[in-house]
Amino acid sequence: MSELVRSPTGLVGIVLLTVVALAVVFGTVLAPYDPQAFHPAVRLTGPSKAHWLGTDQFGRDILSRLLTGASSTILFGVGATAIGVFAGSVIGVTAGVLGGWVDSVIMRTLDGLLAVPDLLFTLLIVTFLGGGTGEAMLAVAVAFTPGMARIARSSVLSIRTREYVMAAVARDESQAYIISQEVIPNAIGPIIVEATIRVSFAIMIGATLGFLGLGAQPPSTEWGLMVAEARQYMYRSPWVVAVPGIAIAVSALGFNLFGDALRDAFVPRGRR
Amino acid sequence: MTNLKANRREVVIGLAAASAVPAIGFAQSGTPEIGGTLKISHSTRIATLNVMQLSGPAEYPCVDMLYSGLTRIAPGRNSADPDLATSWEANDDASQFTFSLRQGVTFHDGTPFTSADVVATYEAILNPEFGSPARSVLDMIGSVEALDDHTVRFNLNSSYADLPISTAHANARIVSAAALAGDLNDLETKPNGTGPFKLESYDSARITRLVRFDDYYKEGQPYLDAVEMHLFPDLAAESANYLSGNVDVMLNVQQADYARIAAAEGSNALRVPAGRYVNVVMRQDQPPFDDVRLRKALALSVDRQLLVDLVLEGLGRPAYDNIVSPEFQYAIDTPEIPYDPAAAKALLAEAGYPDGIELTMVASNRPAIRGQVAIAIKEMARPAGFDIEVEAMPHDTYLANVWRKGTFYMAYWGMQPTEDATFNLLLTSTASYEDTAWFNEEFDELVRRGRSTSDPAERAAIYAKAQEIQLRDTPYIIAMYQDVLTASRDWVRGWTVHPLNRVFYIEDVWLDRA
Repeated sequence: MSELVRSPTGLVGIVLLTVVALAVVFGTVLAPYDPQAFHPAVRLTGPSKAHWLGTDQFGRDILSRLLTGASSTILFGVGATAIGVFAGSVIGVTAGVLGGWVDSVIMRTLDGLLAVPDLLFTLLIVTFLGGGTGEAMLAVAVAFTPGMARIARSSVLSIRTREYVMAAVARDESQAYIISQEVIPNAIGPIIVEATIRVSFAIMIGATLGFLGLGAQPPSTEWGLMVAEARQYMYRSPWVVAVPGIAIAVSALGFNLFGDALRDAFVPRGRR
Repeated sequence: MTNLKANRREVVIGLAAASAVPAIGFAQSGTPEIGGTLKISHSTRIATLNVMQLSGPAEYPCVDMLYSGLTRIAPGRNSADPDLATSWEANDDASQFTFSLRQGVTFHDGTPFTSADVVATYEAILNPEFGSPARSVLDMIGSVEALDDHTVRFNLNSSYADLPISTAHANARIVSAAALAGDLNDLETKPNGTGPFKLESYDSARITRLVRFDDYYKEGQPYLDAVEMHLFPDLAAESANYLSGNVDVMLNVQQADYARIAAAEGSNALRVPAGRYVNVVMRQDQPPFDDVRLRKALALSVDRQLLVDLVLEGLGRPAYDNIVSPEFQYAIDTPEIPYDPAAAKALLAEAGYPDGIELTMVASNRPAIRGQVAIAIKEMARPAGFDIEVEAMPHDTYLANVWRKGTFYMAYWGMQPTEDATFNLLLTSTASYEDTAWFNEEFDELVRRGRSTSDPAERAAIYAKAQEIQLRDTPYIIAMYQDVLTASRDWVRGWTVHPLNRVFYIEDVWLDRA
């Protein structure tokens, strides 16, 4: 942990994530106004004393919307990544441990899927499942699975030939014991690092889907949707688009920096 | 031909004569220059060019360029101008119309236009199997007969003084008899009309290009060599292209963009008050909307002036649930409905919902105004006890699953040329797009009588009564009338928009490149 704080990227990442986490947990309590309430007299105004981040096309307070939208936006990214990581790890570990033709079949299939860009793959799945927050989350998770499986498998492969695994095999431990006690604890590091970085991508894909009208639906305060709804007022009041846009960028940056620092801490080679 | 009871006919004929003078350009100055390509941007797909079926906002200008009808809606008014018919005469009780057809007109493929084409077209429109949207305003026609090559007689089942306006319906343009006898799928992509422009290429996802038809009946017109319809699915891209001068005309301007477009240098923005509206559909053959008190409660929960300001940026007028907007000849003075959540709450309790009611309202995502109105109504109606969840969905899904089936959703309609067409589009039991299950026999009877009455005073009384019944029962909530907005670059001369958004007179448009 002290490693993380000492590196500048890690520190910045932790600070950003703390801010985002506070918004997620206390957002609805902190919001000064009802995020759906109209204030028609002050619609599309810039920052003021009453509305710190201005108001949108219906005169809704942007700060309140941002704070209440934090949980749906961030938890979408975290949730989608968690599902994707879990599914990917199970597949990857299975392939890595079993080896042979099972490994070949699984990995070649996943390689094929990996060739499709994440966003395109997600759009394909959402189109198939239909729009909505749950569907979008599932789609991002599915799109993440092949990449995560590949990383999980490579960690498993590098560990499979280590001495401590050989020793366990020599002790005639059961397959289940070896996987759960020897392989997974040692392979989990790179997976966590990758997952942290991926959360930022998940947040951005989620926002993209919201923007395209395929994720969260109005009047939700999901940030991507806020950008999409406000877009036609962009020339009149840039705040409406800029504020949720910056919020998305900041949280994605937070996860990214934190993930980078995490990797540096986990992979000793990079250290001086 | 005596003067007795002939005043309606005189009106009709007089009108035809008055406008038989070749279209004198209003909004035009200088001598029209010949040549050039007019680029028009639009944001909705041209899904079909089938004149018998189409109904898209960007499809109407195409059909207005490709085809001519017997009559055409006059610029800026809801009356009929001659088009392929040079004049018409009605008998005394307006149950029989005789149209004299223009001589020497040819279709784009060179075949001459005759009365046989008129008969074939109208028989197709009246055939329910074609499902023509024009049928509901023309179904009083009993038979169409060709008296000679250039005279057609319409025998009506009932009197109908507005027939020349109905024959101007965008879907009642004249198609050649040969096309109707051949493969009907060809109508979609190979239109053969008598209009000022003919089709050169059609790509529904990108550009539709039309070129001058040299044998158009108006001498020396059209002025333009070609017209290109450019599709911009992204509204921001559309305005950017217009402002940079890449396109000459923006067919529809969004409210949010109007002030910016109007203020831009070299841009002429045009705003025309119209009877276009977003309506809340509440299906009445099942609970909860079978109770008029619930509908009235919702009507009281909508702040109409605020809605105009929020959603239309003030570019419209508040409406008070009357489907007939003030532009119409027989529109009544609709009483204002106040925004009164307290009264709405009381009415809701009376209807059996003292603790409020939860509802799900569907709003399709195109155009965005549906969702905006839905969200605004959700918030406005909350204090009265309405807990409305807005369900947004892609427009295609909405058309397939919700439209005319759902119980509570947002619809969006353009203005119709007559009261009769307005009522028969949505509200009568046999309306083309009936979706309320309101089924009011007294209303149906009044609309039927209004159609066959020629005396204006009597007609006014009938239509007033019909509107009162409508207001009494609140089949729809209609909260505002939306202005029609369009814009053209300052080198474009003669670009106009009609409140109906159906006729564009593009043969009068020319480009002043000097």
